[in-house]
Amino acid sequence: MFFRMMNGALLRQKGKMLMIAFTIALGASLATAMLNVMLDVGDKINQELKTYGANINVVPKEASLLDDLYGVDERSGVSNKYLQESELGRIKTIFWAFNIVDFAPFLDTKVTLNGAVENVELAGTWFSHHLDLPTGESLDTGMINMKNWWDVSGDWITDAEEDSAMVGSLLAGRHQIAPGDVISVAGKNGQKTLTVKGVFNTGSDEDELIYVPLKVAQDLADRAGLVSRVEVSALTTPDNELSRRAAQNPKSLSIKEWETWYCTAYVSAISYQIQEVITDSVAKPIRQVAESEGAILEKTQLLMVLITILSLIGAALGISNLVTASVMERSREIGLLKAVGANDFPISMLVLTEILLMGLLGGVIGYFAGLGFAQIIGHSVFGSAIDIKPMVIPLVAVLVFLVTLAGSIPSIRFLLSLRPAEVLHGR
Amino acid sequence: MNLLELKEVSKIYGTLKALNNIDLSVPKGEWLAIMGPSGSGKTTMMNIVGCMDKPSNGSVILDGVDISKENPRSLTAIRRDKIGLIFQQFHLINYLTALENVMVAQYYHSLPDEKEAMQALERVGLAGRAKHLPSQLSGGEQQRVCIARALINYPMLILADEPTGNLDEANENIVLDIFRQLHREGSTIVVVTHDPEVAEEAERIVVLEHGKIARIEDNHRGEQEEG
Repeated sequence: MFFRMMNGALLRQKGKMLMIAFTIALGASLATAMLNVMLDVGDKINQELKTYGANINVVPKEASLLDDLYGVDERSGVSNKYLQESELGRIKTIFWAFNIVDFAPFLDTKVTLNGAVENVELAGTWFSHHLDLPTGESLDTGMINMKNWWDVSGDWITDAEEDSAMVGSLLAGRHQIAPGDVISVAGKNGQKTLTVKGVFNTGSDEDELIYVPLKVAQDLADRAGLVSRVEVSALTTPDNELSRRAAQNPKSLSIKEWETWYCTAYVSAISYQIQEVITDSVAKPIRQVAESEGAILEKTQLLMVLITILSLIGAALGISNLVTASVMERSREIGLLKAVGANDFPISMLVLTEILLMGLLGGVIGYFAGLGFAQIIGHSVFGSAIDIKPMVIPLVAVLVFLVTLAGSIPSIRFLLSLRPAEVLHGR
Repeated sequence: MNLLELKEVSKIYGTLKALNNIDLSVPKGEWLAIMGPSGSGKTTMMNIVGCMDKPSNGSVILDGVDISKENPRSLTAIRRDKIGLIFQQFHLINYLTALENVMVAQYYHSLPDEKEAMQALERVGLAGRAKHLPSQLSGGEQQRVCIARALINYPMLILADEPTGNLDEANENIVLDIFRQLHREGSTIVVVTHDPEVAEEAERIVVLEHGKIARIEDNHRGEQEEG
């Protein structure tokens, strides 16, 4: 009888019930999309942020000490300690090798430009360097990948173009250099004429630099096979209390904590592993970048939680209006049931079951629609698919249940207050 | 022995006295009609006797229980177990068939029994219309379904509010025949009506005016008692 009554009520109020299911589906779809994106957003945002530069700086131990003790910039050339170019491939052999997106070495030196007295900074680097790794794998890495947001007038140069250079916009402006111009640079080990292929604008102090292939800088500085520093772009997990303690002193961790830290892609763990493979090096997280990433991630997740909560509140209000309207429409029927002897509980259960069935229908439709929305968000915002997380299913189920229940409260209260004499006889 | 007793019953809405100090006894097996003009308190009295409302003052004893002192939950139980309600507007659930409408009362009383519900419909001459929806039934047929629903749990008291108010003469006669049959079988019936012909069928007629009993007419003895 219960099911006959429920079935009859559902069929009789098809339009209203479908509206309830639709409202729930909307809320569930947003919750599904947001939860899936939220759980996947860490990797996505990390990937996105990695396109804006490096987050780890690897320098020789001595240069790092000078920086720590006297605030001497590693690029100043004061230190005469260097890293070995031949060891750089090892960076891609660490435990978190797959999280190393790109890296580029730099050899910083001072040169004179076009015979002027004033020294300018010149850096040799890899632009797009093919590297055969000790593991047998190979990769192409360098500045073109790491600094792809640079505004370049002209063209990027390649590692093979040893008679070409790229000049920073500030320096180019002061010396009236444009793409296609020929410049002359003189270093410790001789002079070289270079054709400017591109003028770049970064908005940072790099705009004062001349970039040339690493080999050219090594020849000019007489530092064959050496580099001053390496910038590494790695996918990392946002810092927490454990990673912050480890960053200060990994030895302060217990064995279990150390294993957890070492096997998590914290920026400090990846830096530590890089130090292990590059002789006499110190790998330092670029704290500002790492912290910004963490802050952006937290804010993005908070935004998604807020959108989810607001959408669910919206759904609850929608359900509340629709169900109350439905119960008011059925007040005579409910009054009659009370008149023939039904208590409040079975009538409430009847109405609740109807709504929860609609919740189930709306929830299932909303879940699958939400998966679609998540993919749309993934492709339009991050340019890749969002991983579907199975743990979202119970989360959405519980949320839909609670929202449906919360949305039903006003109607149940109205139903409980109905007196048969009032609805059947108008008294 | 009285099945129903009203002692000094009043119902007051603000300054309006819908019922004013009513004293009335209904013996078991009696057919009583309540008449009176609109606003005389007929429906209020029916609501109080039918456990759908409570008096402001006085007591209502139904089968030895003072229902004026019961809580809403107990009143629902009394209504379910002891009273069969028949309405002028039938109040059938329009998405359930005639048979299912009868079974609804069984469902909230004990257990739905399709065979028994069918027998109730047979009793009111509607066995052939059991699978029809209310919208497919005439007014008279709908009222008979309402009567079958009221009778299905064997109530002590049948309370009918204008049971023929929406029916033509032919259907009115069918409904009255059913009431006559129930009366012969010993049912206690209280009918609220405007229709003198319906009231004439009852053993006693209570006439209400301005919330008070104006007079009680005894149809069998032709006596008249002033209220």
